[in-house]
Amino acid sequence: MRSVNAHIREALGSTAIDPDILDELAQHAEATYEELRAEGASEAEALARIDRLVDGWRANPGALQRVFKRPTVVAPPAASRSIASGVVADAIYGLRLLRARPGYSALTILTIALGVAAVTTLFSVAYGVLLRPLSWANGDGVVRVIESRGGKQGRVAGTMMNGSYLAWAEAPQTIEAIGGWRTGTVTLTGIGDATRTAVGMITPSMFDVLRIQPLRGRAFKPEEGRSGNGRYAILSYAMWQQQFGAREDVLNEQIVLDGTAYAVVGVMPRAFAFPTAQTQAWLPMEITSVDGPNGVKRGQIFNAVARLKSGVTAAQASAEATARAVAAPDAGPVAMSLFGARDPIQITAVDAAAAATAEVRPAILVLLIASGLLFITAIANVANMQLARATGRARELTIRAALGAGTARLSRQLLMENAIIGVTGAAIGVMLAVALHRVMPSILPAGFPRVDDITIDGRVLAFAAVLSAIASVAAGLLPMLQLRRLDLVRAMNEGSLASAGAGRSRLAVTRLLVVGSQVAVTSVLLIGAALLTRSFVAQASADRGYDPANVITATVPFPGGRSLEWRQQARARIVERIKAHPGVTHAAFSTGVPLMSAGGFVSFNFNSPFRDGVNIDAQSMRRLITPDYFGALGVRLRAGRGITDRDTLGAPTAVVVNRSFVREFLDDVPVERAVGVSLGTRALPGTAYQGDVTIVGVVDDLKQDSIEGPPQPEMFANLAQFNMANLNEGSILIVRTAGDPASYLEMLRTLIRQEDPAIALDAVMTMDQRVGESLSKPRTYAVLFGGFAVFALVIAGAGLFGVLSHSVSLRSRELAVRTALGASRSSIVAVALKQMAVAMIAGVLIGVAASMALSNNLSPFIYGVSPRDVVSFGVAPIVLLVAGIIACVVPARRVAQTDPVQVLRET
Amino acid sequence: MKRGSAELLILALLEERERHGYDIGKQIEERSDGTISFHITSLYPTLYRLESKGLIEGRWVERAGQRRRRYYRLTPGGRGTLVRQRSIWENFAKAINRVAGIKHA
Repeated sequence: MRSVNAHIREALGSTAIDPDILDELAQHAEATYEELRAEGASEAEALARIDRLVDGWRANPGALQRVFKRPTVVAPPAASRSIASGVVADAIYGLRLLRARPGYSALTILTIALGVAAVTTLFSVAYGVLLRPLSWANGDGVVRVIESRGGKQGRVAGTMMNGSYLAWAEAPQTIEAIGGWRTGTVTLTGIGDATRTAVGMITPSMFDVLRIQPLRGRAFKPEEGRSGNGRYAILSYAMWQQQFGAREDVLNEQIVLDGTAYAVVGVMPRAFAFPTAQTQAWLPMEITSVDGPNGVKRGQIFNAVARLKSGVTAAQASAEATARAVAAPDAGPVAMSLFGARDPIQITAVDAAAAATAEVRPAILVLLIASGLLFITAIANVANMQLARATGRARELTIRAALGAGTARLSRQLLMENAIIGVTGAAIGVMLAVALHRVMPSILPAGFPRVDDITIDGRVLAFAAVLSAIASVAAGLLPMLQLRRLDLVRAMNEGSLASAGAGRSRLAVTRLLVVGSQVAVTSVLLIGAALLTRSFVAQASADRGYDPANVITATVPFPGGRSLEWRQQARARIVERIKAHPGVTHAAFSTGVPLMSAGGFVSFNFNSPFRDGVNIDAQSMRRLITPDYFGALGVRLRAGRGITDRDTLGAPTAVVVNRSFVREFLDDVPVERAVGVSLGTRALPGTAYQGDVTIVGVVDDLKQDSIEGPPQPEMFANLAQFNMANLNEGSILIVRTAGDPASYLEMLRTLIRQEDPAIALDAVMTMDQRVGESLSKPRTYAVLFGGFAVFALVIAGAGLFGVLSHSVSLRSRELAVRTALGASRSSIVAVALKQMAVAMIAGVLIGVAASMALSNNLSPFIYGVSPRDVVSFGVAPIVLLVAGIIACVVPARRVAQTDPVQVLRET
Repeated sequence: MKRGSAELLILALLEERERHGYDIGKQIEERSDGTISFHITSLYPTLYRLESKGLIEGRWVERAGQRRRRYYRLTPGGRGTLVRQRSIWENFAKAINRVAGIKHA
């Protein structure tokens, strides 16, 4: 055997055949020899056959060669005469280099593109919502005017009272004009089906404040803002187009709103979207004086804006308004019921745009920071990949440097390559941002302010251009710094046997640092996302004090001109007929339903039943209901009884209070003791019965709007006991069904239409939908943050993968030598992974520490979890480590499968 | 013989599983019952050519108690080439049949 092998080697030895191939051929010959011998051939015969074989091979040694595919070699640009042609040559060279490695180029460009898309989108939101001037403000100096009493804002936040308004509107010093508005929904009849229409109630002065004039017709005259001076309306452009066919003679027409005719006096320009883009018509609003006839105190709260005189600051205006409000006629108990406090009065003027977006400002800023972190991770990744390439290209660069190319010349080349990546990436990123912008209205939470102002315009594009420049320079910076340390001798030797074991170069350390910081940033984003997600889950599953499943809610606006009696009977009839429908378990009307209307508000005092001689000042929400209300909403009765059909007009006034009422005004006694307590005669104005109001039951608190706010004291009484209820009081319908409520909607519409065709059933939604909508903000924040985190995770994972692959390939010779010297494969993998593990753990630790410092900034957005939530802080690093392990598996397996002999031969 | 037939044969053999050079040579001999004259000296040049083209790839494999041997397997590119070559060969065979006028009785 040995002799055959030696024989062949001898025979082929004179040819320049690769030892590897020689090995293979020798084996073939040996196998042939053995087989021939096994078949019975003599040794001489067998050797003769092999000699013929060898002769055949020797005849054409050139064919016995493996020619491996080598990476495409792109010749560097020739030295150029002028800088301009040099730049062009560099660009062409850069493009050819990128084309030579399409996978790598696509990855870097895509990374930049995604980073740019995220930041550009967030910037367009931040700019459009927070910075862009309000479209309806027409110039500077428009301020929102907000009143507070005893530090409390009105029952509707951001409003002011009639007394303070009138005191300032009369010959003000610091402002040109002040105007008030509120929004409303009315039923439009007489044109097609009855439709619910959004209207803006505005004072005639609003036209001066906003410096706007109608497109057709005229603005409201000052006297039209007072009652008894006729009824006038101004139409929106959309309503003029759609309902009146843009007819010029519309000014002679009337429209019927809530059963009342209004003369059309004007049409607003198309762009006028105030107070909301949905507003279809404007009606004049009267601001009443505080002192009414017969010594009655009148209170009114509404939104207000003012136009500052030029050179006047908001603070100066606030000071004047406050001084005048303090001197104005005191609204006394009315102010108490509207604000929950009487004084001191404070009027604040704030920039209108800032006021409109105050609620979302912190969220946008936090998301902007998150997207910025993401962008940094993306750039770091590209920098790292470029750095890896720089290592691979060290020979090319060194040779060019040796041939006389200066550092500046080589830097320009590298910069140009990065500029190509940066600019292409940014361009794709902007395209992505434009695509995202299309779907923006559906992504952003319901009621997000100024969605229409979010656009991709020149400013946003300029921002993207700056980003691309930053990306290009930053991604190229590390390789360029490395270039300055170019060590000719060492670079030329790199990859040769001498460098075995020299894996821990400065370059490798830099790359590990980059990976470590990527991991840190990703940790911060992951922890933030985990916190927001857990907060969202906590809000979605929190106890609201009622059961939102299988409940339909709707507004049933009764037509104007019907008597109180008619409405009471209509309610009873509708409830009766709905309940007769199979599958309906409860049905009720009410003035107040969570996430819809809070109901009314009352302020009164009564003698404490538990402490002699103590008079209690109480402010409470007041909901007028029909008897099945608690059943329909699933509110839990804690003591006494609910509201029943026996609580009728003229019967003693029965009231059910909630636990907060007991806690705040009844010394927090056990709920059973609250039953039977008298609240005096003034607790519920408007009842037919004039005697004491008596507590008959206590229910659990229910959350009106957000789950976060503290529960409010509440009182519930039967609608039927009141004889001066306002037009649409008690028009919210609640229906609880046994199964999926969506299947009952049509029945409900048909039934209401049969009751009265003039009723336009409005705001029909299931309670679950309302809860879902109310959570759209936390959901959006969690989803966006989560998206950024996942994205950063992928980028960091790719970074880890890249660095490890590269370090493995650089160290393959060292690893091969170790294997050859007897090291086990697992120990080799362990060596390769160790430095990664150090970088990752350090990154995670830094990320956790940074999150500890930063997470307090998230507290406005999180509910039910601590900003230091252990689960969130624990889960994020675990996710990262798992992702890290996945990213490391492939290169590690490659190491384990490497054939050391081959490695040693090839290099 | 049509040029490229040896390459097609090798690709087809490697489609089933990876094999070493000696095995490939024996398989060609056995399967064609000697009708295809394939000189064994041209086996390795063909293998190296295929490898250089990236249609097959070889690697050294060590098995317990055996010498290390170089095994060849089909690359995705090789698989594609094999599919194309097959259809060319089928068309070629059909054309020969038509020209030769062999009729089925």
